[in-house]
Amino acid sequence: MRKIVSLLSMLMVLSTLTFAQTRSISGKVTDANGNPVPAASIKKLKGEGAVAADQNGNFKINVKNGDVLVISSVNYATARIPVTASNAYTVTLAESVSAMDEVVVTAGGIKSKRKEIGTATTVIQAATLTAGKATNIANGLQGKVAGFQISGTGGGVNPSFRLILRGQRSLTGNNQALVVLDNVVVPNEVLGNLNPEDVENVVVLNGSGASALYGSQASNGAVIVTTKKGRKGLTTINVSNTTTAEQVAFYPKIQTKFGAGGTAYGLDANGNPYPDYLENQSYGARFDGVKRALGPALEDGSQDSAVYQFNDGHNKFWNNGVTSQTDFSISNGDENSTFFLSGQYADVTGTTPGDKYNRATLRVNGTRRMGNKVMATYSTAYTQNRYDITTETGSMYGNMLNMPSNVDITKYKNWRTDKFANPNGYYNPWYQNPYFTADNYRSKQRNDYLTANVELKFTPIAGLDIIGRQGIATRNASNKNTIGEFNYTYFAEHTDASSKTDIPASVSDGSSYSTNLLTDFFAQYQKKVNKFTLNFIGGAQLTQNQSKYVNVSANGLVVPGLFNVSNGVGTPGASESNYMARQVGAYGDFRIGYKNFLFLHGTGRNDWVSVLSTQNRSFFYPSADISFIATDAFESIKSSGKISLLKFRAGVSKVGQVNLGSEFGAYSLAPTFGGSANGFPYGSLAGYTVGNLLVSNNLKPEITKAFEVGVDLNMFNDRLTSTWTWFSSKTDDQTVNTAVSSTTGFTSLLTNTGQTQSQGLEATLHYDLVKNSDWSVTVGGNYTYLDNNVNFISADLTKLALSSNGSGASYAVAGKAFPVIMGFDYKRDNAGRVIVSSVTGLPTKTDAISVLGNATAKNRLGLDGSVRYKQFRFSVLLEYRGGYQIFNSMGTEMDWSGTGIRTAAYDRQSFVYPNSVYEDPAKPGSYVPNTSVAIANGNGNNGFWTDGINRDVTSNYVTSGDFWKLRELSIAYDVPTKIFGKSNVIKGMTVSLQGRNLFLWLAKDNLYTDPEYSSAGSNNNGIGITGLGSAPPSRFYGASISFRF
Amino acid sequence: MQQVNKKHLIMKKSILGIFIGILVLGLGTSCKKYLDVNTDPNRASSVTPQLILPQAITYTAAVLNGYNSYGAQTGLYCANAGGYGGFGESITYNYTTTGTGTWGSTYDNLEDYQTVLNTSAGNNLYSYFSAAARIMKVLNFQLLVDTYNDVPYVDALKGSTKLTPTYTAGKDIYKDLASQLDTAIAEIAKGDATPGVTPLGSSDVLFGGNTTKWKQFANTLKLRIIVRGNGKVTFSNTTFSADGFLTTDALINPGYARDNGKQNPAWNTWAYAYTGSAGNKAWMPSQFIFGFYDGHSIYDAARGRAIYYQYPSTGINRLGVESNTLVSSPTGGFWHASANRDGKANGNNYGILKGPNAGYPVMLAAESYFLQAEARLNGIITTGSTTDVLFDKGITAAFNYTYQLPDGSVTVKVADTVAAYKIKNLSNPLVDFTAATSDAQKLEAIITQKFIALNFVESYEGWNEYRRTKYPSIVASGDGYKTFASSVSESTRPDKLPTRVMYPVSEGTYNGANVPKNITPFTSLIFWAQ
Repeated sequence: MRKIVSLLSMLMVLSTLTFAQTRSISGKVTDANGNPVPAASIKKLKGEGAVAADQNGNFKINVKNGDVLVISSVNYATARIPVTASNAYTVTLAESVSAMDEVVVTAGGIKSKRKEIGTATTVIQAATLTAGKATNIANGLQGKVAGFQISGTGGGVNPSFRLILRGQRSLTGNNQALVVLDNVVVPNEVLGNLNPEDVENVVVLNGSGASALYGSQASNGAVIVTTKKGRKGLTTINVSNTTTAEQVAFYPKIQTKFGAGGTAYGLDANGNPYPDYLENQSYGARFDGVKRALGPALEDGSQDSAVYQFNDGHNKFWNNGVTSQTDFSISNGDENSTFFLSGQYADVTGTTPGDKYNRATLRVNGTRRMGNKVMATYSTAYTQNRYDITTETGSMYGNMLNMPSNVDITKYKNWRTDKFANPNGYYNPWYQNPYFTADNYRSKQRNDYLTANVELKFTPIAGLDIIGRQGIATRNASNKNTIGEFNYTYFAEHTDASSKTDIPASVSDGSSYSTNLLTDFFAQYQKKVNKFTLNFIGGAQLTQNQSKYVNVSANGLVVPGLFNVSNGVGTPGASESNYMARQVGAYGDFRIGYKNFLFLHGTGRNDWVSVLSTQNRSFFYPSADISFIATDAFESIKSSGKISLLKFRAGVSKVGQVNLGSEFGAYSLAPTFGGSANGFPYGSLAGYTVGNLLVSNNLKPEITKAFEVGVDLNMFNDRLTSTWTWFSSKTDDQTVNTAVSSTTGFTSLLTNTGQTQSQGLEATLHYDLVKNSDWSVTVGGNYTYLDNNVNFISADLTKLALSSNGSGASYAVAGKAFPVIMGFDYKRDNAGRVIVSSVTGLPTKTDAISVLGNATAKNRLGLDGSVRYKQFRFSVLLEYRGGYQIFNSMGTEMDWSGTGIRTAAYDRQSFVYPNSVYEDPAKPGSYVPNTSVAIANGNGNNGFWTDGINRDVTSNYVTSGDFWKLRELSIAYDVPTKIFGKSNVIKGMTVSLQGRNLFLWLAKDNLYTDPEYSSAGSNNNGIGITGLGSAPPSRFYGASISFRF
Repeated sequence: MQQVNKKHLIMKKSILGIFIGILVLGLGTSCKKYLDVNTDPNRASSVTPQLILPQAITYTAAVLNGYNSYGAQTGLYCANAGGYGGFGESITYNYTTTGTGTWGSTYDNLEDYQTVLNTSAGNNLYSYFSAAARIMKVLNFQLLVDTYNDVPYVDALKGSTKLTPTYTAGKDIYKDLASQLDTAIAEIAKGDATPGVTPLGSSDVLFGGNTTKWKQFANTLKLRIIVRGNGKVTFSNTTFSADGFLTTDALINPGYARDNGKQNPAWNTWAYAYTGSAGNKAWMPSQFIFGFYDGHSIYDAARGRAIYYQYPSTGINRLGVESNTLVSSPTGGFWHASANRDGKANGNNYGILKGPNAGYPVMLAAESYFLQAEARLNGIITTGSTTDVLFDKGITAAFNYTYQLPDGSVTVKVADTVAAYKIKNLSNPLVDFTAATSDAQKLEAIITQKFIALNFVESYEGWNEYRRTKYPSIVASGDGYKTFASSVSESTRPDKLPTRVMYPVSEGTYNGANVPKNITPFTSLIFWAQ
């Protein structure tokens, strides 16, 4: 929170100073809302005689004119008041916390002062989080926290995010940060279903040490979200609306010179390929402005046509999306209780035609004090979201890229009424009309979430708190996926070697729930003994995770349009699965402070888990950290005037994580048999097949050992703030789900093997350029260097496939960065030049796959700036990631279709492969530069660009993943309340404009899409591969108006 | 004051300690019960041989369906159809991934048989199950060797004890497979002598629990192995049990029906899905096989009409020929002759694709007879019917299978049709055995008739026998009736054909140290191939 110098104190500065004799004055210290601030300290800038305010904020002090009073209190900005002629003062303190006294919620919901914490911790306040008005909190955190990589792994109406702190540790298990909402561990997806406006702050515990108390899931660090509570003595009502437009920000690069056709249809007198009415591939005639037939003539004799000139219909296919977000909240509090109630409704239409999404959230939070010894706290939220989207984004996108770039895609929108857009008359027999695909393959999904936490705190004696807490996060979901029927006419099926074939209708209906219960019971004892502060915690935790999935499906629906599983032919498909896992944890925590500048902290926790065998289910892990505030220990540092804070910290930890796979890892220990393979059961005849997963019989938890050291340095009276952390961690006994040769009789093996390592630097630095009553300007940023490696896997397993798409795959390879992109390359000489045939000029594909790039960004930078001028606030955030590569699988599709810009690189002419060599016929084994031997066929359906020698070579589509993004830009204006007159009904009004991901600067060789995307999805460690499954990246911009009553 | 404080603190600390202690202790005792919830409620964790065998045999039908496509698509029995492009290595033969999909499913299926063998080992009550699984294991391993030559055998199917199985030479596998069949026949005898032995019963979806047929099947399979390995493998025992060879078609049928996932796999792939939607339309009959019906090689309009849609105007092509004018496949494909093209009602045909409920052939009686004919010709067997009799029996059995309806009934007078066939092709040595004078001619006639009998049914066997015997004869420079080689073949061989498919990429990735190197599709031969 910003330090705001109160108006009153400014007025006082301007008052004249007259007397100079000592006298007694009185005053009252209040907060911005007029509530008393008890026990504030009142000192004089020069001279003796400090006093403290009483419970009601009142104080008396002896002063003389010319004195300056320094009023300070924990959690408030220090105010300076010059003594004037007046004998009664009201001092309004702006809420603020000096960085070191800020109270941070850490593991287990325990509140610690920042100065006590020996590990890297970042706090993001609500204002920062919601500056860009993102509907997803993950979006709002992007680029703001050092060491925290948040990647939107797909586009769409509710994108998924991958949350990784300090790199990946587990080879095939979960690497995502633990999400904790109001002290309850919740599934990652809850983050995307939380109303960002409800959030008070987010604390990011970067390392496993800081979060060790959360149990075995904490080895990935933790994101602790705390929602708002009401404030004592104050009733506030907020109402706001934000409307945001979404627009595609980057399109794949398409060639603009050649239309449909290809060499397979013959060459004209000039040796150029004929255009062809049927061919979808764009290897035909150069754009010449001539109108030509498109597709075969229809049954009625009419024929579609297109002019051979570039048409940017590919880009116009995507819609402009609109998000409308309406918020309401009311909060209130009195001596014994607080209350906060909020609601939000967000309605989204996406860039993909027809995609819709909405989300409604309700929240009730409160506290209630009962007597002096009992305090009850509750926070409850209900969220429901609804999707109505296409299931075929990937094939729709592929269909679209297969349309020649002279064809205006948008004219095929009305496929129900337009005969050329209708599948019967659509010109392309191989690739559907993308509008039809989007309309015909639908999914409706419903998710209802309830997250709640109730807590009872009993304080029998001062310093001892006994806390019991019960949390629940439950999701109830259902979905219905449908495919509409389409019966082609006989003519359509048999015209011009058509491969059009009827689409039977089908429906798949699923429902599921998952419920996570978390019970905490712990005691905390705090005591101050002379120079020592002592804090002990002992507790126990029970976790139960349970889920169930049921799915039924039917095909060949009989009554058209009736998407019900009872309407199919044959036996409906049916599946059911149930999971339950439990964990018991017992933990202890101590923190000893010495003279408020040296703090030692240690934790120990033992977990017992249900998903491992009896002999391996119990494991213990400790952590320790130390914090030393040099500026408090040695006044001399501070008094030099330059350094206002110098803190050293260090931590070591060991955390065990059980990583047996999805659904809490339940039931992973025994081989299984499937009863529904190959059509079984047939009537009363049952048949089982041996499962394909082998399980090692001694599975253990993965153990992450980590250490970190850091410095917090503030200078120039805290105008410059900075934090520096070096971290290093090693994870052993990796639980690896790896593919094995099918000749073993199985296809994958679950075993403990391997070690990963990550180390790096996290730094943040901010500087207040200007800070006065009218202006405040702060600039700064955060930087992360990450070196994330696989040290070894196992003796007979040196690489591990994590995900793949087309010819590219993401692998963990011993001794390499984690992960790397692997695939085929061209055979090269020692200098890395491509070896071509001295006869054909053609290169050769390598026999085996090799490492083609590192898929994890080595360097990440977030730059932010904020400017306040009177009632105007402006903020900007840029993010850079660099030092890594991605494989773009869509490239092969674009080259196949001939729409890709690479295919026109040599104007579809014969060309000499750049930077190539061929073997010196005189000196075998040595290579001479190739300047003359050209690839003959630089064109055509069976030319270089469509052939395997281009498209099957992975390295052709591996590009730099580097990018800069203008993540956020916002400008807000607090409308002066006086314009609402004296009624005082409206206490505040703010209007703002904001944008997210407004600009995207990609590396020059990246012709395809957002490198943040991962075709493997947000839960897979096999990053580095993008596919067609995501709509192109978007920019968002919109306006908000909010009222406070 | 300080002293008191310290005491107070120590007391508080010990209270806390006791508190934690009680908590941990309490948890410890009730912990076990609370945590013992890891029993899988979703999937079975143990099953009996009775439950695995029917699925395993049914799986084999699906595996064979994959091999059938692989064999047919070399051009033997089918070619690319109109309306599709991008056939790539399927028509250039420059294989990298074509045909490798069968590898994984075969081993997956083999693991099922191995599990039956493992769970019934040492238990005489399961002798029949052990025997049936062993015979089916042999069948699958022969498929692997015939497709890939050296494959993991000795080390295979051992789970985590052998994660990177070594490769065994195809020859050595052949030798052991023959011995395994002897073991299987002995196991059946052991079962016969074991009181209370578990009968195969309904678990046997191949022979309905008839152990005599299992023994005949074992003998015939052994015959196939010995005939093919003849001269290259030294078999331990080249005699056959007294049970004789198969005289009926060996068909897998667990109860195939027009239903979700329960259709005859070939019907499901090539004709219609159970919903009535079209199967694979990208392929059509090849000119080469068509020549054995329309008179280019042999006149056989009867079977042509029984097999092909709209015979003789069926759409046909030569592999590799791509053109806009190429005929596209009708819905339901060319391999069933019925004029009824309603996918929701079609079925009950004779020919190749008989219906969704038809049994799936593992081995035709015709193949049994042609194998015997060849064995009699080259002296592998020396007693029983003579070569010419066996040859004619083979043809009759082939006609019989063609005219079989899904329920097994034959309403056509097969003997008359065969007689007409012989008259029409009198003195054509491929049909009229008396016209085949030399042993080479006789072998050509036997293999060619087997080639016709296996048309699109056991296409892989047609392809194997071609590679072993070079029959049916082709003229490499000829048109599509004279050769089945692709018109855009990149093969460096005189016959313009490939010799084999590659090992799957997965072996290079997960078993790279063991997988044989330097295999090419034009120079590497299966050990029995020419």
